[in-house]
Amino acid sequence: MTRVLDPLPRTTLDSGAVSAAAVSMRARVMLVLTAVVGLIAFAWPLFFTPGSAVDPLQAPLLFALVLPLVLAVVVSELTGNGMDVKGLALLGVLSAVGAVLRPIGTGTAGMEPIFFLLILGGRAFGPGFGFAQGAITMFASALLTAGVGPWLPYQMVAAGFVGLGGGFLPRARGRVELALLAAWGLVSAFVYGWLMDFAFWPFGIGPSTQFSFDPHADIAANLHTFVLYNLATSMGWNLGRALTTVALIVLLAPGLLHVLRRAARRAAFAPR
Amino acid sequence: MHPWAWWAWALGVAAAVSMTTNPLLLALIALGLIAVILLRRTDAPWARSVAAYFVLAGVIIGIRLFFQVLLGGSVGGTVILTLPEIRLPAWAAGIRLGGAVTAEGLAWAVYDALRLSVMLLCLGAANSLANPRQALRSVPAALYEASVAVVIALSVAPQLVESTQRVRRARRLRGGTSSGLGTVTAVVIPVLADAIDRSLRLAAGMEARGFGRSRTGQGTSAALTAMLAAAALAATVGVFLLLGAPEFTAAGAGMLLAGILGTVLGLRRSGRALGVTRYRPQPWTGRDTLLAVCGATAAAAPALATASGRPALFDAFNPSVNPLVWPTLHGVMIPVVAMVLAPLAVTSPPGASSRRVS
Repeated sequence: MTRVLDPLPRTTLDSGAVSAAAVSMRARVMLVLTAVVGLIAFAWPLFFTPGSAVDPLQAPLLFALVLPLVLAVVVSELTGNGMDVKGLALLGVLSAVGAVLRPIGTGTAGMEPIFFLLILGGRAFGPGFGFAQGAITMFASALLTAGVGPWLPYQMVAAGFVGLGGGFLPRARGRVELALLAAWGLVSAFVYGWLMDFAFWPFGIGPSTQFSFDPHADIAANLHTFVLYNLATSMGWNLGRALTTVALIVLLAPGLLHVLRRAARRAAFAPR
Repeated sequence: MHPWAWWAWALGVAAAVSMTTNPLLLALIALGLIAVILLRRTDAPWARSVAAYFVLAGVIIGIRLFFQVLLGGSVGGTVILTLPEIRLPAWAAGIRLGGAVTAEGLAWAVYDALRLSVMLLCLGAANSLANPRQALRSVPAALYEASVAVVIALSVAPQLVESTQRVRRARRLRGGTSSGLGTVTAVVIPVLADAIDRSLRLAAGMEARGFGRSRTGQGTSAALTAMLAAAALAATVGVFLLLGAPEFTAAGAGMLLAGILGTVLGLRRSGRALGVTRYRPQPWTGRDTLLAVCGATAAAAPALATASGRPALFDAFNPSVNPLVWPTLHGVMIPVVAMVLAPLAVTSPPGASSRRVS
């Protein structure tokens, strides 16, 4: 490459623009697009029509084909055009922490010790960083434990929005901020569980029980069945995830936000 | 072997599995997969993950059977046993717990759970046979930055364990003996602070070596971004039509294909703005193509058999459960099983050459 010297190095992680400013207009459009695509992918049982060319078992697989493309587009936009080397290194290291923490919690009553980290990452470095952190944490964790499957794109999108929401919380300090973060932790932990369960509902229980997804029933009847199914099977998991997230936020957020914000200030050493 | 070739083969087999509920064929495919995994996996850490997929498959069959027995609707008339029956009130959709357990219902639950389990086994095979680090190295150049972040994450993760031990040892030396919730804060925050300091040192090192300086500066053009967004949206609308509007199946499939093609081309295009070269790229050889074709062939056999419209072929792949009949094998299934076993002929066993590459 001939361009060895770049007179104007790009940087976005400087002290003034640590938060939402790092998300460009283009990245915002991409994120809205991801939200729309993600919502369709998670809510597919609602609009599934019997007699379509696709078996209900194959529907999440079809989305597992489309979601990675959308994720590739949005993550490439977020990391390629909106982040410098320091942002990338922080992203990698925070994702590594999440990937190490995640196996600790699995299997024990829905303990999910990564949501607090995504929320705090989004809070300290902005919504775009939060989205990328959520997606890359899930991806790295799946690679480390060899858990790549059709659920991975869904987890990446959902975890991305958990981190994104952390960055879009209103400006506050002290106890108010802690309360806001904990509230988002509670809400996002439940919504994450519901969306994941809903998208894989026909997978989880099979097609022939009374709690099963019925392609011939209308939306209200299916939602009713799903609520009962969810209360009976995964309420405990969702509650466990929500409580873990809130407890970890209350316990660790003050100290961790201090550390993360200090890093954001220190990362601003390059000239703009 | 190229990691994406293994993935193509495994996804092809998974697609074939998704089109059949014949337990005999599923058992044959599962045995074939196990043979391929055991004979072709390396000593790498990800290769040992396959046990977890077996456990997951067993758990799925167990959960499905449990719910079928407890909540199964009344399919068929061959009652095996009758459990005490509880009717839930009307607000709970009048669900009936217990009651008659029929052989037809159980068979249906087992067939469907078996199909899902074997699909999981295909993913397990891909996870244990494909080298994730090499797969990561051959992502499109547009995802270069993201893949760098993942590589950082994968290489930093083991260091965090060491960092945790160091922090805990330092705490003990200082006489910190408190237990309970205080320990969490006292360990987690120093470990994270250490990790973040490490990442800033890493970033300084990367900048000093000119990382990310090959971009032309202006980034990707707005037109390209708009095209990528439109392509991604087209793919989504395509899936929406495929699932929700049977009368627009052809249009949906067309939009899905156009969207996928547009996204891939757009990502290649935007990747070209980066002047990134690859160090020792993994070559895609003829054998890799052959392996991918094997996967596609495995998926094509049941698809063609179903599309042919001959009821005998359809029944062979989807044996009837009501009335319950004994599933039979059909000659059409030979190519499916042969393609599952094909990697044994196409690839060479892991020897000295594959162990050298990490």
